[in-house]
Amino acid sequence: MSHDLTLTINGTRQQIALDDPRVTLLDLLRERLHLTGTKKGCDRGQCGACTVLIDGRRQNACLALALSHDGAEITTIEGLAEGDTLHPVQAAFVAEDGMQCGYCTPGQVMSAVGLIAEGRAGTDPERIREGMSGNLCRCAAYSGITRAVLAAAEEMTTTKGERKTA
Amino acid sequence: MSAWHRPASLTEAIGLLAEGGVVAAGCTDLFPATRRQALSGPVIDLTRVAEMRGISETRGGWRFGAAVRWSEVLSAALPPAFDGLKAAAREVGSVQIQNAGTLGGNLCNASPAADGVPGLLTLEAEVELAGPAGMRRLPLAAFLAGARRTALAPGEVLVAIHVPSHAAAGRGAFLKLGARRYLVISIAMVAARLVVKGGRIDRAAVAVGACGPVASRLPALEAALAGIAPEDAAAAVSEALVAPALAPIGDVRGDAEYRGVVAVELVRRALRGLAAEGMR
Repeated sequence: MSHDLTLTINGTRQQIALDDPRVTLLDLLRERLHLTGTKKGCDRGQCGACTVLIDGRRQNACLALALSHDGAEITTIEGLAEGDTLHPVQAAFVAEDGMQCGYCTPGQVMSAVGLIAEGRAGTDPERIREGMSGNLCRCAAYSGITRAVLAAAEEMTTTKGERKTA
Repeated sequence: MSAWHRPASLTEAIGLLAEGGVVAAGCTDLFPATRRQALSGPVIDLTRVAEMRGISETRGGWRFGAAVRWSEVLSAALPPAFDGLKAAAREVGSVQIQNAGTLGGNLCNASPAADGVPGLLTLEAEVELAGPAGMRRLPLAAFLAGARRTALAPGEVLVAIHVPSHAAAGRGAFLKLGARRYLVISIAMVAARLVVKGGRIDRAAVAVGACGPVASRLPALEAALAGIAPEDAAAAVSEALVAPALAPIGDVRGDAEYRGVVAVELVRRALRGLAAEGMR
C-alpha cells in the first residue's frame, strides 16, 4: 500500500506517492524530488542545515515526517530567488560574507527568512544571535551571519515601509 | 511495509494505541532517540487529534492540549503566572525545535532536564490521561515517575495539561543554566512563581530541574518565603532550604556539587528578578 501526499513546494503543488510512510521531509526533498539545496548535516535536529519553512514556520526537515505535513506549503532555498535576482537575505549573506565553506548556508538563509518573518528579532544583534542559534556554522562565520541578517532585516522592513507609503 | 496513522479523534487514537506502535508528535526527541535507520513499527501521529490541540481558558483554569507546540505557548495570551513557562518555551532547543516539539512530548519523554517541567510544577499542573480504561487525572509530580519514566499505563496517552485557576495567579519566572547561552541542555534550571498581597509574599512556588531524576518543588523554601517582602526573598534562600529537595548527579554537563551550588544561585536570581519586576 502506498501513501499519498500532497505538498506545495516552492509554490508548485505536487502529489507524491510514498512507499515507505516513515520517510523524513529532508530525505523526500533530497532523494526523491532532487531539491538538494536543503542539506543534511547532523540528521538529528542539532545543526539546522536542513531548515525549511513549513507553512511559513522554520523547522528542521530531518525531524519532520513527510506524511505528517500532508497539505503543507514548503519553502526551500530553491524557492527564494526570482530568476537571477537573489532574495534580500541571500544577497545580504553575499554582501556581508556570511559564510565560508557554504554547507550550512541554505539552512542559515532559510532560518533568517523565518526569523525576519516572525518579527520578534528587530535590529538587536543579541536577539538575532538568539533567533539564529538553531543554525550551527563549523567555519564560525557567525559575525558575518549576524551582520547579514541585520542588514536583510533592515532592508526588508524599509522596503515594506516604502511600499506602504507609496 | 510499515503502517502510518494520523487519528483525528481521541477515540480513534486510543483504538490504534491498543494495537501498539510508535507514538509521534513533534518528533524532536523521537528521531534522535531512534538508533536504527528508520522508525520501527507502525507510526501513530497524534498531532491532529482534536482533543490534544490548542490552549484555552476553562472554567477551572487553563488547558493545554498535549500536542501544543512550544512556539504556541510562547505566542499565547496568558496571565503573568505563565511567564516562567513562556521563558522556558523560548529556551527549548532552537526556534526550529520550538516550532515542532510539543508540551506533551516534553513530559512523556520525562528527561530529568525537560525544560517544561519546573514551570508546570510551580503552576500546580495536572495531566489528563486517556486509555482503554477511561480518563484519569494525576498531579504532574505523580505522573513523572523517574528519569525517562512516567505513570502512563500501556495503551494510555497524555491528552492535556491543566493549570487550576488558583495557580494561574501571581507572576512566574524561569532561569536555565547551560554551558553556553542558547541551544543547550540544562545543567540546572529553576522556575518560581510568587503571589504577593499587601507587599508580602502570600504564596511562593519554586521548583528546580536537572538536579535529580525528576524536577522537584522546594517546600521548605516555599514555607520560609511566605509572609516576607519579595525584595527580601533572595536573601532568605539558603543551601539548607534548597539542597534537601535535590539529588543531583554528575555527568558530562556538570558535577553534582556544581549543580547543588548553581541551583541555590539560580533560585536567588529568579526571586531577585521577580522582585525587580515590581511584585507588590
